[in-house]
Amino acid sequence: MTRWLRAPSPILLAYAAALLLFVLVSLYSPGFANPAHVATLVTLAAFIGIVAIGQTIVIVGGGIDLSVPWVMNSAAILVTALAHGQNWPLLWIVPLVLLSGCAVGVINGIGIAFLRVPPIVMTMSVNVIAQGLLLIVTRGFPPPLAPPALTFIAAGKLGPVPVMLLVWAVLATAVVLVERRTAFGRYLYALGSSRAVATLSGVPVARTTVTAYAISGITAALAGILLTGYSRQAYLGMGDPYLFTSIAAVAIGGVSILGGTGSYLGTIAGALVLTILTGVLPIFRLDAGALRIIYGLVILVTVFISAPPLRELFRRRGR
Amino acid sequence: MNAIVAIVRRNVWLPPLLVLVLLGAAIGIMRPSTFAMDQINIKVAAAMTLILIATGETIVMTRGGIDLSVGGILSLTTAICATRGDPGLVESIFWVGFVLLLGVLIGVLNSVIITLGKLQPFVVTLATWSILEGSALIILPAETSGVPKSWVDAEHLLVGGVGVPIMLLGVLIVLWAWFSRTPIYHSVRAAGSNERSAYLNRVSLLGTNAWAYGLSGFFAAAAGLYFSTQTGAGHPTVGTQYVLPAIAAVVIGGTSLMGGRGTLLGTIVGAFILTLIGDVVFLLKLQSYWQWVMSGLILMLVVILTSLTESRASRGGGS
Repeated sequence: MTRWLRAPSPILLAYAAALLLFVLVSLYSPGFANPAHVATLVTLAAFIGIVAIGQTIVIVGGGIDLSVPWVMNSAAILVTALAHGQNWPLLWIVPLVLLSGCAVGVINGIGIAFLRVPPIVMTMSVNVIAQGLLLIVTRGFPPPLAPPALTFIAAGKLGPVPVMLLVWAVLATAVVLVERRTAFGRYLYALGSSRAVATLSGVPVARTTVTAYAISGITAALAGILLTGYSRQAYLGMGDPYLFTSIAAVAIGGVSILGGTGSYLGTIAGALVLTILTGVLPIFRLDAGALRIIYGLVILVTVFISAPPLRELFRRRGR
Repeated sequence: MNAIVAIVRRNVWLPPLLVLVLLGAAIGIMRPSTFAMDQINIKVAAAMTLILIATGETIVMTRGGIDLSVGGILSLTTAICATRGDPGLVESIFWVGFVLLLGVLIGVLNSVIITLGKLQPFVVTLATWSILEGSALIILPAETSGVPKSWVDAEHLLVGGVGVPIMLLGVLIVLWAWFSRTPIYHSVRAAGSNERSAYLNRVSLLGTNAWAYGLSGFFAAAAGLYFSTQTGAGHPTVGTQYVLPAIAAVVIGGTSLMGGRGTLLGTIVGAFILTLIGDVVFLLKLQSYWQWVMSGLILMLVVILTSLTESRASRGGGS
């Protein structure tokens, strides 16, 4: 705790930014803070948050996953195509789809860990191949509607609480525990700070890399399945915005893109900031162009605040 | 065998050239008319946008960085070109100069943020990409044909059967032959292969980065000008379609993602491979989506082969 007080932690800053944004917008437009709207915001943030679980883990380990969009999209299409709008088959379909997401992640991991393909190139090629194969299989037409059970999980509420918030909370707790309490978590940070040092200290580098990308494949597939429930159908291109938002959430949350530092706790704040910004647009009658500009500026400002030179300055003052 | 590996290592553009020749031969057999002058004009014209963007990306990647903002610069410049009305000659020269200068300024700004903040190029240029694409959408909310007719006509001139794109390609190669002998390029390479020792040898990192990212911005703006005059239309979101292919073209061409090694010839070959894959898919009467699957596979294959020859050479005692 004392460590947090010495310099402004990027994670605290990200939460402060989310809170400040929320309060300011609510003061300007009181409807923003009504429970129903907050529930919608949290649900939307949860989708970014779930994709960003895998992205955080991969980036902490010193990599990046650009295959997220079409893993999501493939999962969404697979679920709807196999379920034909029925609830019960989901019991075997969902595990199967998560497993196929995992398989894509393993392919990424093997290419990166064993064949030494740079992560950007490996995951980019896998993304393009997945996109091509999916379009070939579906011939460009989207499959039937999503089963109602998925819509309940993704858009439903238990009392005032959105089901997605519960799903996200459970997953987030699990991720933070994995980061802090497991050998895999420690290996991941070691690998992200220096591959060479990690190898020499006996970290199972290849296994850790493959596991990280496998987790990313699973969370991307899960987000794809849930997003289908929310939009009630799968459509082509539905995963595309999540490449940018998942990386942006990680960057805003203070995880260094070089790896080795940061935590999923920060990514959660990043997902909240991004979602609140999207919600602000209609209030100020801004269009999509303005949102992109604001997204870009927010990323620049947050990474600049936690940049090495500025942190160095704070550290010197602290002494 | 080791002799072949040594030759390939010195001329990294040889394996992709072999792939290109095979692709060209396949197309030539299936459609002999391909090698008529007008067809060559069309092919070069189709590849030129990608070649221009990838030229800038080659320089940045030789520096060991990456520039995602080229997508935003491309979108922004096509938006500017499509909203100029019907300018006279002097006005046209002014606007062309303005667009190119704007590209340089954006690139230099990227380099300043990256160098002074000691930030990761990936995150910084992701943010500026978003900002620029947003600006493009504000200038031109949707795709329109508004590029000055005189510009379009000038770009479609034929001199003795040779089109403007082929002349541009020639100029580009000559310029590169000159540029690759300048001290600037040498410091870009030095900083890319080992930043620390380059710094200790009095290579200015800020200056080197400014040149690398400035040139990248310049070529992205040139690509925007070329794209607008080629299609006669402004596309405020076209950049998204070119960022990953540009990186792919550079990587296929043998430029290392780790920096320190790059060649424009390889990049040009890579861009032609990516462009011709579309032809092969068309001639084989496959669904057009196969284009993506094939380009992903080729990209992966080339990188795996490169990394294998490298580990082979290093095991054999090479540098």
